[in-house]
Amino acid sequence: MARGDAEFVEFATAASARLVHAAFLMTGNHHQAEDAAQTALVRTYASWSRIRGGDPYGYARSVLVNHLVDTWRRPIREYPTEDLPERHGGDVADEVATRRWLLGILGTLTPRERAVVVLRHYFDLPEAQVARELDVSVGTVKSTSSRALEKLRAAGLTAPEPQGSRR
Amino acid sequence: MNEVDELRRAMRVTERADRTGLDLAGIMREGRRVRRRRRVAGTGAVAVAVAAVVIGGGAVARIHPPEPPAPGPVATAPVVDPTTGGPGPTATADSGPVEPRPRPVGAVVGTGIRYGDDERVFYVVPVDVPELPGVTIGLAAGRRSPTGGLTTDYLVNDVAGSDRRPGFHEIGYDPQGRVPSVTPVPTFGYFVGPAARIVGTVDGRHVEARLARWSEDPQLVIFWFDPGVLTPATPLDGIVARDARGGRL
Repeated sequence: MARGDAEFVEFATAASARLVHAAFLMTGNHHQAEDAAQTALVRTYASWSRIRGGDPYGYARSVLVNHLVDTWRRPIREYPTEDLPERHGGDVADEVATRRWLLGILGTLTPRERAVVVLRHYFDLPEAQVARELDVSVGTVKSTSSRALEKLRAAGLTAPEPQGSRR
Repeated sequence: MNEVDELRRAMRVTERADRTGLDLAGIMREGRRVRRRRRVAGTGAVAVAVAAVVIGGGAVARIHPPEPPAPGPVATAPVVDPTTGGPGPTATADSGPVEPRPRPVGAVVGTGIRYGDDERVFYVVPVDVPELPGVTIGLAAGRRSPTGGLTTDYLVNDVAGSDRRPGFHEIGYDPQGRVPSVTPVPTFGYFVGPAARIVGTVDGRHVEARLARWSEDPQLVIFWFDPGVLTPATPLDGIVARDARGGRL
C-alpha cells in the first residue's frame, strides 16, 4: 500500500466514528449518516494528496456537514428505535432514552441550525471556524446558534433522568 | 451542569465508536474514480478523450476520441435574453489556438462569467454510453482561455433513455460540492423543447436561469444559473420550463 493510502486508512479509521455520529446527529438516521460519512471520506480521499499535510479532518467535516445541509432541507424527524446500540458500557436503556430525547429536540431544528449545533457543541469548534466550514459569516453563525438554542430550550433541553438510578 | 453542557454530553454519550459499517476499500475505490474524473476534467481534451466519465452513479460515458487539434475560430452561440427571447450580450467569436482542445459539437456558449482571464463556457460533446444507443451527447462545463483554449471542468450526460427526449435532462452541480473553489461550476443543464424561460426554486425562492439554444438543434436549450443568483452546488428544490406565453412545458 502506498504511503499516502496508508495514511488515509489511518485517518479514516480514526475519524469515521465521529463523522458518522455527527451525521447521525444531523439526520437521525444511521443509514443516511453512514452514507454521508462515506461520501465525505470519498471526497477526502480524492483530494488526499492536497490536504493530507493540512487539516484533513476539517476538510472531511466540512464536506460532510455541507453535504447534509444541502441534502436535507427540512428537519429530519426519524427516530430509528429499531436500531438499538450495541452495549459498550453504561445502561442501554439510558442510552436509548438519551438518544431518543436528543433526536427529538434536534428534530425541531432546520438543517443549518442542526449543522451549527453539531459543529459548535459536538466538535467544539469556535464560531469563526464554524463560519469558515459552512461558508457563512460569523454573524450568521451567532444568530443561527442563538435561534437553535432557543428552539432546543423550548423543546426541553434538559436530559432525561437516567432510568437505571430509579430501578 | 448547564443546558449546553448537557447537550454536549448527550451528543457524546450516544456515540457508537464500536462500529461504523464503512467500507474503506470501497471509499478508496470511489475516491480514486473521483480523482481520475477531476484530473481528466482539469487537463482538457487529450485526457478527456481517453477517459471514462461516470455521471449519475450508473452508466459510463466515453467521450469520443478527438480529431487532431483544430486551429481556427470557435463560434460562440448567442445567449438568449429570457425576457425578449432575443440574443443576449455575449455573442462573440474568438480566434482559435493551436493547442489540443475538447471537440465541441456546434457552437461554444459563452456566459460572461469570468475566472480571471478565463470565461465559463458550455458546449455539447459526443459521448458513448455502453448499452445506451439513445445517448450520444453530453453537456460540458468548461473554461475558455483568452487564446480560445478549452478546459473541461465537468460533463453531464443522460444515463437512461434518449438524450433528445422532451424535458429536462441531467443537471450538473459543482463537483467540488460546497468546498470553496476558485473556479466554481454554475448549476447547469439542458432542456429539450421550446423553453423561453427556465426557473429554479431553492428555499422557496425563484431563480431565473440564463438560456442559449444549441446551434445544432434549437430545441435543445442549454441553461445555467449565474453564481450570483444561485450559489454553485446548491441543490434545486424544483425547476420548471415555460414557453414564450408563460405556459409550463
